This record gives sequence, structure tokens and C-alpha cells, in this order.
Amino acid sequence: MNNDITRAPARKNADQPPVLVYEEVRKLYGDFVALDGVSLQVHKGEVMCLIGPSGSGKSTLLRCTNALETINGGRVLIDGVPLPAQESAVRKVRQRMGMVFQSFELFPHKSALDNVAMGPITVLGMRESEAKARAMALLEKVGLSAKAGNFPANLSGGQQQRVAIARALAMEPEVMLFDEPTSALDPETVGEVLSVMQKLAQEGMTMIVVTHEMGFARRVADWVVVFESGAIIEQGPPAQIFEHPTVERTRDFLGHLGWNG
Amino acid sequence: MTFDWSVIWTHRQALLEGAALTVGLTVLTMLLAVPGGIMLALMRLSSNRLLQSASLGFVEFFRNLPLILVIYWVFYVMPMAVEFQLSPLVTALVALVLNVSAYNAETFRAGINSIRKGQLEAALAMGMSRRQAMFKVVIPQAGRRILPVIASTWVSLFKDTSLVSVIAVSELAYTAMQIRAQTFRVLEMLTAMAVLYWLMGYPQAKLVDWIHRKYGVKE
Repeated sequence: MNNDITRAPARKNADQPPVLVYEEVRKLYGDFVALDGVSLQVHKGEVMCLIGPSGSGKSTLLRCTNALETINGGRVLIDGVPLPAQESAVRKVRQRMGMVFQSFELFPHKSALDNVAMGPITVLGMRESEAKARAMALLEKVGLSAKAGNFPANLSGGQQQRVAIARALAMEPEVMLFDEPTSALDPETVGEVLSVMQKLAQEGMTMIVVTHEMGFARRVADWVVVFESGAIIEQGPPAQIFEHPTVERTRDFLGHLGWNG
Repeated sequence: MTFDWSVIWTHRQALLEGAALTVGLTVLTMLLAVPGGIMLALMRLSSNRLLQSASLGFVEFFRNLPLILVIYWVFYVMPMAVEFQLSPLVTALVALVLNVSAYNAETFRAGINSIRKGQLEAALAMGMSRRQAMFKVVIPQAGRRILPVIASTWVSLFKDTSLVSVIAVSELAYTAMQIRAQTFRVLEMLTAMAVLYWLMGYPQAKLVDWIHRKYGVKE
């Protein structure tokens, strides 16, 4: 057994300044402490998986990244610049981050193609023909060009989530945020979404993924962060977290999920 | 008792003009009261306390007053206060728009609240402004969802336009009553009026049902 975990493992692009830095981030909901001083760095091109029990703060941290939640303490830095407070500046930051939600949140009154084209048209002011060409290429990429004209109600969960990924990619984001992207899916459609995500990871996209899919985290993540009660209890490369967790509670959590290395 | 139905045919021109004005008044009122309702709903849902209370005050005021009183009030009382007399037709329009906007505001507010928060968040996460998210994502969905309610408001409004006859706007009810007064053909004119209202109202309700089936959003 390799116990040499005192040596800091090499991280992807660790020689460059991190894309995202969380410094002592605190988030409260009334008296409930959702995030209790979380500090974390995300490097360019890194796939980071946030794991841990429900309610441990993973999704909250993700939502603080693009200011869907406001933080009560600490800082979030994007390329070294703190997340602004002003709405117009926040919008600029959000344009650089794609987000994929657990419940897809496709717009039900728009076709798959229009869902994907909407961001470029509305936010970037792109011409409709150009935006639709981009949207079509992205639907092709997630394997759904044949469903371009379908409305969300006529797509399966897995297909909806793939359209949602294409929609986020249409803004050409620097970072993709995935908030439990497969938790609402039927088991048989989980794989198609994970494989799209894996392809994205291979292309070098910087990704933060809140997930309960331990197989995906083990296989695809460059860095795994374990949350409990609003704090990070352990972080490291997947080999460490899944095979040699240093913290008892990580072992407990993985054991609960039936993960045995 | 003898009936003389020819009185309807004799006055067909006036009756048709009255019916046209009834339809016109309904359409114009809705054209103004839908944006009015959306504006009031957005004020109510904004974070600005002043806008919230202004909207709440407006809605509760006009929703709880009889429409006929609002019509009288705009026609007789308002000119005393502002030294400015509107024509009966414009008065009718103003009163109807005030009343229907208040109802539409509540309808739109309920519709907007029924759209789950994730839709707004998905729009904001793309970088849309709050206004864009509202007008491109939330309101179009809310609008489809509340279409049946707007349809019944429409049908109510269509019939309620008859109330503006009290200030001598020559829509269908006023015209029919005038003919009745001149000819003493009470039963014939009231029957003609009922038939005309029903014949015009029923297809409108059906049309809106059809629109709802065609453009309603499945989820």
C-alpha cells in the first residue's frame, strides 16, 4: 500500500495561476451554515468532481461560482478577479461559465435548436442564422442533430440533459459547472450524458462537477474534493480519494455508497 | 300578445354598428390591459417596496369596486377633479382598462409564480439580464399557462362592456335599449340582444380554447 501522500501530487496546469479560487467562502441560510470557510483552487483544463453527502455544500459552492447565490464571507476569484457585486458585471462573468442543472431546465416553449441558439442571440447579440448554425453543430456534437426540431417535452431525460449541455456550450464558456447532471435521470440514460461529459473533459474543458457518480469521478476527474457539513474534509487525485482516503469520514462516505475501490 | 320581429331587421344597421363597437371596445381594452397587467405583476414581484405597494394598491382598489361605479366615477367625478372631460367612449375605455388590468395583474402574477425558479436561474446563468430572463423565458411560459384564465376574463369583459351603456356609449346594449325605448318592442329587442351577445361570445371562447390547445406548452 502506498502511503506516500505527504508529497503534493502534481496537478494539471499547476504552474499557471488558477482559473478559479475560493477563499474562505462562507454561505449562510438563516442560521444554517451551508459553507463554512471553503478554500479551493481550480486549474485550467482540470476536471474537478465535488462529492459528499447531500446537503454538504457541494451544490451551494457551485452556485456561488456564478453568483446564483451570494456569499456571506470570503471571496471567489475568477482569473484573479473577485466576483463582482454589480449586476451587469456579474452577467459578463456568467457568460464565461456554462451551467448544467440537475433538472435540465430547458425552456419548454422552445425547440432543442432554439434552446441552444437562444444564449448567443439574446446575450451575445449574434445573428439568428449564425447562432442556429452554431447550435446545430453543438447538437451534432452531443449526438442530437436529428432532434433539433423537437420540443423538450418530446425528448427523454438523457436527451434533454445533452441539449442542456449543448446550450451551455453555445456561449463558448471557459468553465463548465455541472450540478448533479445525472441525478434526475433514468439509469439507462445516465451513460449517454456521462459520455458527452467525458468527451468534453478530453477536449480540455475546465469542469466542476457535483456528482454522486463515483465511477465517473474515479475515471474522469483530475481532482476530487470531498465535502461534509459545509467544509472540505479531503481533496486529492481520484486514485488517492478512492483507493487510499486519508480521512476516516471519506472512507465512511464511500463505504455507504458501496464503493470498494 | 303579438310579436313584431321585423323591428330587428328594420334596425339591423344600428344593431350591427353597436355590435361592432362592443367587439372593438373589448379588443382595445384587452390590448391595453394585457401589457397593463404584466406591468402591474412585474411591479408587484419587484424588490422595490414602493413599486410593490403601488401595484398592490391599484389592484385591490379596482378589483374591489363595481365596474359600473368606476365608469360613473371616471365620467362624472374625475372631470371635477382634473377639469378635463373625456369623451364617453374614451371614458369607457379607461374604466374598462383600469378594471381588467387589475384582474390581469393577479392572473399574470400567479402565472409567473407558477414557473419554477430553475427556469429563471437557467436564463440568468447564461448571462441574460433579469429583464431578458423575464420577457424571453418566464413570461412566455406563464402566458401560455394562464391562457384559459385570460380567455374567461375576455368573455367576461365582452359582456361587461354593456355596462358602459350607462354613459351613453352606443355599443350593442345601449343601441338595443334605445331601439326598445323608441319602438316599445321590449321582448323582441332583449331577445335580439341576447342572441347577438351569445353568437359573438361563444365563438370567441372556443377560439381561445383552440389557441390554448395549439400553443399550450407541454411539460
